[in-house]
Amino acid sequence: MLIEIQVNGSAHPLDVDPGERLLDTLRDRLGLTGTKEACGRGECGACTVLIDGRPVVSCLVLTARTRGAVETVEGVADEALQLRAAFADLGGFQCGFCTPGQIVRGVGLLREGLPPGEEALRRAMSGNICRCTGYVGIIGALRRAEEARA
Amino acid sequence: MAVGERIRHVDWARRTAGDIAFSADVRLEGMLHARFLRSPHPHARVTRLDVSAAARATGVAAVVTAADLPDRRYVHHGGPLSDRRVAARGVVRFVGEEVAAVAAETREQAEAALRLIRVDYEPLPGVLSVDDALAEGAPLVHEARPGNVAFQFKRQYGVPPVDGAVAVTKRARFRFGRQAHACMEPGSTVARWDAGRGKLEVWTSTQAPYFIRKEMAHVLDLSMDDVEVHEIGVGGGFGAKSKISDHEVLTAALAMRARRPVKGVLDRDEEFSTTKCRHAFDIDLESSADAEGRLLHRTARIRVDNGAYNHSGPSVMGYGAMLLGSQYRLDGVGIDAQLVYTNHHPGGQFRGYGGPQVIFALESQVDELADGLGIDPIDLRIRNANRAGDTTLAGWRIVSSALVECLERVREAIDWDAKRARGGSGRGVGVAVAVHVSGARVYEGAERSEAGVDVGLDGRVRVRFGGADAGTWQRTMLAQVAATELGVGVDAVDTVMMETAETPTDLGAWSSRGTYMSGHAVGRAARAAADALRELAAGKFDCRPEDVELAGGAAVVDGRRVAIGDLVGLSDRQVDGELRVEEAFVTTDADPFDPVSGIANLSATYSFAAQAVEVEVDRATGKVRVLDVVAAHDSGIALNPISVESQIIGGVTMGLGAALGEEMVYAEGRHANPAYLDYALPRAADVPPIRPILVEHADPNGPYGAKGIGEICLIPTAAAVANAVAHAVGVRVRDLPITPDKVLAGLIANEGRRRHRARVWRRPDRWWIAAVRWGYPRGLHRLLHTHGTRLARRRTAPPVAELRRPTDAAEAATALAADRSARPLGGGTDLLPARRQGVADGRVLVDLTSVVGMNAVAESAGGDLCIGGAVTLADLARRPELAGDEALLDTIGSIASQQIREMATVGGNLCQQKRCWFYRSGFDCYKRGGVTCPCYAVTGDHRFYHAAIGAHRCQAVTPSDLATTFTALDASLAVRGPGGTRTVPMEEFFSGPGETVLGRGELVEEVVVAAAARRRATVLEKLRLWEGDFAVASVCVSADLADGVVRDCRIVLGAMAPTPYRARPAEDLLRGRRLTGQLAERAARACVEEGHPLPGNAWKLEAARGMVARCLGRLAEAT
Repeated sequence: MLIEIQVNGSAHPLDVDPGERLLDTLRDRLGLTGTKEACGRGECGACTVLIDGRPVVSCLVLTARTRGAVETVEGVADEALQLRAAFADLGGFQCGFCTPGQIVRGVGLLREGLPPGEEALRRAMSGNICRCTGYVGIIGALRRAEEARA
Repeated sequence: MAVGERIRHVDWARRTAGDIAFSADVRLEGMLHARFLRSPHPHARVTRLDVSAAARATGVAAVVTAADLPDRRYVHHGGPLSDRRVAARGVVRFVGEEVAAVAAETREQAEAALRLIRVDYEPLPGVLSVDDALAEGAPLVHEARPGNVAFQFKRQYGVPPVDGAVAVTKRARFRFGRQAHACMEPGSTVARWDAGRGKLEVWTSTQAPYFIRKEMAHVLDLSMDDVEVHEIGVGGGFGAKSKISDHEVLTAALAMRARRPVKGVLDRDEEFSTTKCRHAFDIDLESSADAEGRLLHRTARIRVDNGAYNHSGPSVMGYGAMLLGSQYRLDGVGIDAQLVYTNHHPGGQFRGYGGPQVIFALESQVDELADGLGIDPIDLRIRNANRAGDTTLAGWRIVSSALVECLERVREAIDWDAKRARGGSGRGVGVAVAVHVSGARVYEGAERSEAGVDVGLDGRVRVRFGGADAGTWQRTMLAQVAATELGVGVDAVDTVMMETAETPTDLGAWSSRGTYMSGHAVGRAARAAADALRELAAGKFDCRPEDVELAGGAAVVDGRRVAIGDLVGLSDRQVDGELRVEEAFVTTDADPFDPVSGIANLSATYSFAAQAVEVEVDRATGKVRVLDVVAAHDSGIALNPISVESQIIGGVTMGLGAALGEEMVYAEGRHANPAYLDYALPRAADVPPIRPILVEHADPNGPYGAKGIGEICLIPTAAAVANAVAHAVGVRVRDLPITPDKVLAGLIANEGRRRHRARVWRRPDRWWIAAVRWGYPRGLHRLLHTHGTRLARRRTAPPVAELRRPTDAAEAATALAADRSARPLGGGTDLLPARRQGVADGRVLVDLTSVVGMNAVAESAGGDLCIGGAVTLADLARRPELAGDEALLDTIGSIASQQIREMATVGGNLCQQKRCWFYRSGFDCYKRGGVTCPCYAVTGDHRFYHAAIGAHRCQAVTPSDLATTFTALDASLAVRGPGGTRTVPMEEFFSGPGETVLGRGELVEEVVVAAAARRRATVLEKLRLWEGDFAVASVCVSADLADGVVRDCRIVLGAMAPTPYRARPAEDLLRGRRLTGQLAERAARACVEEGHPLPGNAWKLEAARGMVARCLGRLAEAT
């Protein structure tokens, strides 16, 4: 299928199979390997990207029906500089494999304003599994980045 | 000084931007993709293995089986303990064991070629539990291992028990099940055979390049020098990657055979089911103490499920035994330990290495002793704590211990004394402690670590270290050490790790040896480099070397300074413009493990920890919520507090997972929950903000005063939780994880509550089902499993050939009706995984999200809510029309994650298939394979996700949470078919578990919730194991209350029956009556009267009863 998708501000005309996953398109065709595959079934959030600002798991998105602007970690990294630095300052990552997905999800939340309260924020971040850090650094980094934005 | 400071990870900017490459990100010219053929049997003889058709298949470049490889065993622990070859050779011993590997141009081609491999298996009787394996005349996993005993010992540390002083003795059996590492990065390897140089190059997700080289060289008949490991990101290890795995060798073998690079990446099922896991321990433990609270003696009988191969089983069990002889001062410890082969996938190294299992038992029992003695649990622990200068019964020389201080710190931090006084209130606090090595001498060479430090003409420093950092921040710590010794900033230090051609030897990151060994090794090398620079500066400034200070990137003497790069230029030892130093550190403070006596000072020093946990237990459901954790750790000086605290928090979280949810479930030797979805590891909302406390005292042996931290942080956690639960509600759970079923069973027993009895004799419609269930354990299951499944139908989804995007509903219905292979596609969040799981197919997908009108939400003038079938859950929740529909919003908010809710549609949520883990995980079950196949839930683990009311041959439930709430709200569905639209009441929509009345070509166009129902007060209760999980049980009650009188109501139970269950008898009971607490209790009981549970899920009826009562209470309160 001949289609065109918008990724990180650029248009990419592509000839894709109808069953092709956005995750594979990003990684294999566009070389955007910051988006990681950890489960391939939408269970862990490692492959989270934004489409029109909304978080989705790219392992369950068919490229052929992707409409809207796709943003990957490569696309939001600059905007997320303070968030990323806060991850580093607070121990919000260890191995770093889930981190791109956490950052992308975090950027989406920061744009709309973090939900108030510890529990609400933790629930909002629960689609992104981290097996290393125990989440304290991630949640703390989001709050710190929000303060920095204010 | 960089050591001891809070310093960002040296790669933070790249790592947080996704710029660090992991093995799956490696791309090489001409690279092939590997897939692995795995045994479907727990035990079978391979009578024929024919790969010829696969070898000829499109795109296939190489096929490898055991016959293509040297007949060698992995070295592992060496000698008679080595028992595993690369790929199965003649016999398969667990489900998932590698039988063959294929490399092809694409992953799909490799996958297709696997299906062309002809394997004839002659099934052999297997042993699927430790008890089975130890039974008289049990089938043997390995013919050469009589009795299925892989390794065993009996041992007495100290003195045998004496009766005299004993005041209290406690005895009980404790069980710690199998836990998965569940690293976020699945096992991934890229290999290239460089024929010109005769070198095998490997990029692989490992904690220990050394063992990759050693094992690959051995089994592939190469020299260690011929195997080069390259530096690459490692996405979590936790022990899983501290030794080699089969897929790594097979990927390399394919690359050698194909003479092209090959990438082998495990999928998530394989990662869960075929890599190693934590060994399950059964421990019969008896402990005694005297009246003053001095621990006297403990006796332990340990049985360990080894799985089919040894891997590290012998040393895991051996280490666990040493812990029993080391934690606390006491007189004696008797141990009888057996490591038992079963036809399960093998256990292996896992963070804690036997510690979590043993300490769970030991520390639970310490609390029981404290109870028996009437001594505060913290006081009892302080009384018996290991102190500096002690030598434990197992020979550990304690050079530093702040265990007492750790206990005092958590006592204060969690407000222990005040909270401990409120036992039995439903909230409770518990404590547990642990001791752990900082690098154990369990392997030849483990006492040694080497490092290189180079200083360049530009003044930059390079650390070369052969180990791998799987996420511990070891790389940063090494840069800090070098920066400290050489007087430069951390940003002037580069680190090369893993790259074996450039780095001297280190055995890798395991056994909490990273900080201790590499901190010393790099420290030595950096000091040697610094000494050389000082010599050069002394020559230049004509002073003594000891007067030269290295600071700010320069050598400084009396105000004179020279950049260290310039000094390198003065050196006659410089090579390529660098001053290079390599040094080895060999610890002399630890002794090699002595397998005969079991007594050795295994480590140069030991870390200590005390953790206190506060929990709240829901008496209605048995669910435990962790409110607070404080973790005080004596790991010496924290070389980088950021990473040490993060290790502690992450370790505690992993410990909480083991304590409360994580458990690998098996049936017939096959792993039933190889998915994050079915494996209750903690998500962010499942754990509280864990509070680490660093108790820092310099250790005399540790580098810069530091000790290990990586493993100890999860060791005491489970016992602390168990102790807190016991304190909260008086229920002692000795079988992890502490899931709601176990807690509720304990509460029921303690309170003398009458358990639900299914009076089947009164219900002739259940007689047939009861008879079938009776027959299952009496031969019927065996018959269906052994013979019936031979007729099982198996599906493989064909590739998607076409994606249609109709714009109107009639067109969509026509498209679906016209083509037998057309399937409706909503968000794809169920359909796409289901295709991979072999429970969905179709060549043509008809996208319903493009249908105009099906994305709309509208409110009629009368207040009816009309929701398009393709509206996403997230969009629905954002609609202003829903502002007052709180139960609906609560329902949506409880479903999966925001990412899934942004994609999943309302229609898709209703139509999703059953989630039964047997159905989804490849079992040839009744629903998947056909009528000749068994339902694996009847005899398998059905505690959480199966029906307790009204199930027939399939015990699954309808997973949709929306269905529960919509049923309570009398919703109706507009179903569009090729011939037009019909209305189906929600209550009549399901024909079975996750099965609907939709015919061919039909789709859910709209869901309508009538205004009258929306005006009722509606509340939802959902019990689940983790944030975003499907319901274990849910209750939605919708009632029209006036002046406290129930005018009308609906009570619907979700996840309790094959379809959403309306409790009509309870509704009738309530209608027209004043809603009092007593009536609520009666109605709640009536809700579960029709229960016909399986043996393991009767508790769900009790939980549902409590949840109904709570819903009614909430409604009464609200009016």
